[in-house]
Amino acid sequence: MTTRSDPVAIFRHQTPGAQAALLTVLVGALCLALEPVAPWLGAWPTAWTLPATDWVGTVTEAVLQAIKPVARWFSRLLSYPMNGADWLLNITPWPIVLGVTTAVGWLLGGVPMALLGFLGLSFVLASGYWSESMNTLALVAVSVPVALVVGGAIGILANEVPRIKTAVDAVLDVMQTVPTFAYLTPLLLLFGFGPVVGLIASAIYAAPPMARNVILGLERVDPDIKEAAIMSGGTRWQQLFQVELPSASTQIMVGVNQSLMAALSMVIIAAVIGGFDDIGWEVLLTMRKAQFGQSLLAGLVIVVFAVVIDRMSGAMATERKKHDTRVFYGLLLVSVAVTLLFWARLPNPAEFTALAPVADHVDQALTTFTVANGATLDAIKNGAMFYGLLPLRIGLDQAVLPFTWGFAWTAGMSAALFAAGAGLCLVLAWRGRLTSGLMVMIGVGVLETGITNLPWPFVLTGAGALAWVAGGRRLALTVLVLLSTILVSGLWDRALLSLYLSGASVFACTVVGGATGVLCAVSPLAWRVVRPICDMLQTIPLFVFLIPVLMFFQIGEFSAFLAICAYAIVPMIRYTRHGLVSTPPDLIEAATATGATPWQIMRDVRTPYAAPTILLGLNQTILYGFAMLVIAALIGTTGLGQSIYLALGQADVGLGLSAGAAMAILALIADRIVQGFAEERRQALGL
Amino acid sequence: MTDAKTPAITCRNVWQVFGSGAKQALSTALSGSGNDPQGAADQLLKGGFIPAVQDVSFDVAEGELFVIMGLSGSGKSTLIRAISRLLQATAGEIRIEGEDIVAAGKQRMIELRRNTLGMVFQHFGLFPHMTVAENVAYPLRVQGIGRSQRMAKAQEVIDLVGLGGREENFPRELSGGQRQRVGIARSLVTDCKVWFLDEPFSALDPLIRRQLQDEFLQIQAKLKTTIVFITHDINEALKLADRIAIMRDGRIVQIGTPADIVLRPADDYVREFSKDVAKGQHAHVRSVMQSGPDAPVAGPDDPGLKTGMTLDAALARCMSLYEPVPVHDDSGAIVGTVHPADLAAALQADET
Repeated sequence: MTTRSDPVAIFRHQTPGAQAALLTVLVGALCLALEPVAPWLGAWPTAWTLPATDWVGTVTEAVLQAIKPVARWFSRLLSYPMNGADWLLNITPWPIVLGVTTAVGWLLGGVPMALLGFLGLSFVLASGYWSESMNTLALVAVSVPVALVVGGAIGILANEVPRIKTAVDAVLDVMQTVPTFAYLTPLLLLFGFGPVVGLIASAIYAAPPMARNVILGLERVDPDIKEAAIMSGGTRWQQLFQVELPSASTQIMVGVNQSLMAALSMVIIAAVIGGFDDIGWEVLLTMRKAQFGQSLLAGLVIVVFAVVIDRMSGAMATERKKHDTRVFYGLLLVSVAVTLLFWARLPNPAEFTALAPVADHVDQALTTFTVANGATLDAIKNGAMFYGLLPLRIGLDQAVLPFTWGFAWTAGMSAALFAAGAGLCLVLAWRGRLTSGLMVMIGVGVLETGITNLPWPFVLTGAGALAWVAGGRRLALTVLVLLSTILVSGLWDRALLSLYLSGASVFACTVVGGATGVLCAVSPLAWRVVRPICDMLQTIPLFVFLIPVLMFFQIGEFSAFLAICAYAIVPMIRYTRHGLVSTPPDLIEAATATGATPWQIMRDVRTPYAAPTILLGLNQTILYGFAMLVIAALIGTTGLGQSIYLALGQADVGLGLSAGAAMAILALIADRIVQGFAEERRQALGL
Repeated sequence: MTDAKTPAITCRNVWQVFGSGAKQALSTALSGSGNDPQGAADQLLKGGFIPAVQDVSFDVAEGELFVIMGLSGSGKSTLIRAISRLLQATAGEIRIEGEDIVAAGKQRMIELRRNTLGMVFQHFGLFPHMTVAENVAYPLRVQGIGRSQRMAKAQEVIDLVGLGGREENFPRELSGGQRQRVGIARSLVTDCKVWFLDEPFSALDPLIRRQLQDEFLQIQAKLKTTIVFITHDINEALKLADRIAIMRDGRIVQIGTPADIVLRPADDYVREFSKDVAKGQHAHVRSVMQSGPDAPVAGPDDPGLKTGMTLDAALARCMSLYEPVPVHDDSGAIVGTVHPADLAAALQADET
């Protein structure tokens, strides 16, 4: 017999959320209380750390050494088409490149696309970065076909052999969550310094979207169409290539589009390896020299490329109209004619410096601006650091100093903070919202201690408990095992640092992005303004985000924070708005008919209905945040991203791979937990 | 209807069970229940399997229009897929023109589909990237027939279904009714001998549906193929069928002519269906008359009933008569009698 006073019975009586939160609070309190006597509860002792990083390094290097000859041979094989494409693009007179782009634009999307192609390439020409751009284009031109063929083959294979599909899905997941920089180190060892590494890395990075879209497209072919192909007496080969793949062409074109964008993004990131004199290298170089005007110009060239490639390949997926091929040939002819006519007087593209003065001017203006407003910018930066990021990172007890807040943090203040938290918790619990109350308690504890100083048992329990609520025992176990590997491999501190920065960014994105999403949902005008900004932010390769933040806030954590936010906020806005506006009209009509105000409809009908979609947006935001975190290492972050970047410089495969894996683990855990919650909401709504 | 020839389609104890290891589970379940299909199905359900088609047997004669009717989830679509071997039947025997197609190899199935079988789908299954003509000619294309030859043949069937002039349109440019005409044309382009139609008209609106049903009957009158036609609409079944099989929960509960279904429903389930049907329009005098030698001589007030008349028409002619009246066959000879009261009673039979 258990009675009401039996604590176990009371515990069992609570909702899973409350149970999980209660457990976390208890473990946290225990750690806090015992820390003076058992310091190993706070920070994982170095003596207990396994040299896993070295092991990974040794094993991988051995494997890499073994396959190196093959790799080098492969590398040489790939260098032929790459050099060929490079030579071809550079030798071709620029009017012809311009003409071909315009003509292809016409073929894909009529006048708007032709115009986009023409203006885009004209801008590139005027920027004076023509030859660097052609080098970048050559890399993309070789890596994308490789990615498309490999990705397409993987997709078809997974479709034909259902048994391997789960495995393929898992591999694609990993390929997309492992940070881009982490690929580079082993590839560097395997293929040696040089552009081929960038080529292969971008092919690896660009293949999964293709594979995914091929799988999705083939899956989504109407069963009646598949059966009609069978009943027409086609062989499997005929069914696949004559019916199923063409029927899935729209989805496959989406894959081509994503693949192109991924390849471009990666080619530019791979510039950090150097050796190819491409446009990404130009950005990096000017950024290092603090020539922000030039850097901005080069960055704009990348953006122009991204926009042209994205919109044109996007048109392949959506456009159905056929455009007159005579115009296509006409444009080609014109460009050839112009070339021949002005052959002798055709200026070298490097001589175009129309925009160089602009760049110089911008550079000077920026310098003037930052000098004039240095105090304001510093105030913004310091304010955010002192009152936001720093307490989150090292806790109020260490962040509050006379230097930052104007007074020192005392034990009394800690006690008062905890007491206030406990009071709020009790009030909430008394009003029947025990889970919220406990969450307040956890929040207070984290704020007081700081994310990077959190005791490891508390983090493990918290993550495990959250996973248990989101996805049951199996997910909780997976999360615990994965986190433990980080813990024992000695990457824990860095993982917490990464967690802190991405956590802060994701939190900011959720609040700001969520609010923007709501605004866009209620006001079409706001959406008309925000939408092109979102489109633009999603098209820009990650790398380019660094330029503006660097211009104003120099190297440092705050700049990284801003860069991550700028990139990761987009899905939050999009999904929030999409979720809110796609409430079925009859639900809204029913609510209106019962006399609900618009605000009540928003709160009681539209938001709950949109919850799964918004959660998916949050999920995307988290993954975007992690992806950008690694790139942001270039402008000064600590944590795993920095380790990955350092490993690249030192060709330390062990560190690079381990840190990359740790990063992927964090991303995967966040992904699975949020997906679990989204799935639960979907089921609760019967969607 | 049935004659000494081999039936076009034969199904014997066909089972289609979903779930991994279904074949093994089915044979265990059957031996466990002593070959009782009901018991075996219950056992399979308990084991997490889905017995979508249970112990189905029937024959379809050559040139017969056989309709399988049932509500959604009754297993009718699964059954037609088992017969056309889009699904591999879990157990049982399926013969098409005497050939066991459950055992047929991949290559043989491709041959059969190229030469013998044709199928029309509920959602048309048109290839979105091909024009009407290319869609219709596709079954010929997979056989490697040259373009001009297959286009000529496609043109014939396109004209047959009344789509002349739309050859170069894409499916997305057509209305629902037109799309299904394309589907019908494509299934006919290879001169199939067995024609499967899986709810071909269900996705269409009622007016178009009726129009296509009529045209379908005309096409069938011309081609005289053997047809298995799936529908969930009892009126459609009664209008088109030579014979109807009614399915419920994976089993066939009754097989019979439209008149049988309407006048002599096998159980309450079938009766429920036929309740809403205007029986007088579907049952014929033949089904209620007494045939026999003691036929009365045609008197002066002979209303001239024929065996093929619907009950409604017959009743209209002998409303005021109270004696048995003779029934003539098509040649005019008297073949039986019917009491007017029986005609009226047949209409009322299941109104309780």
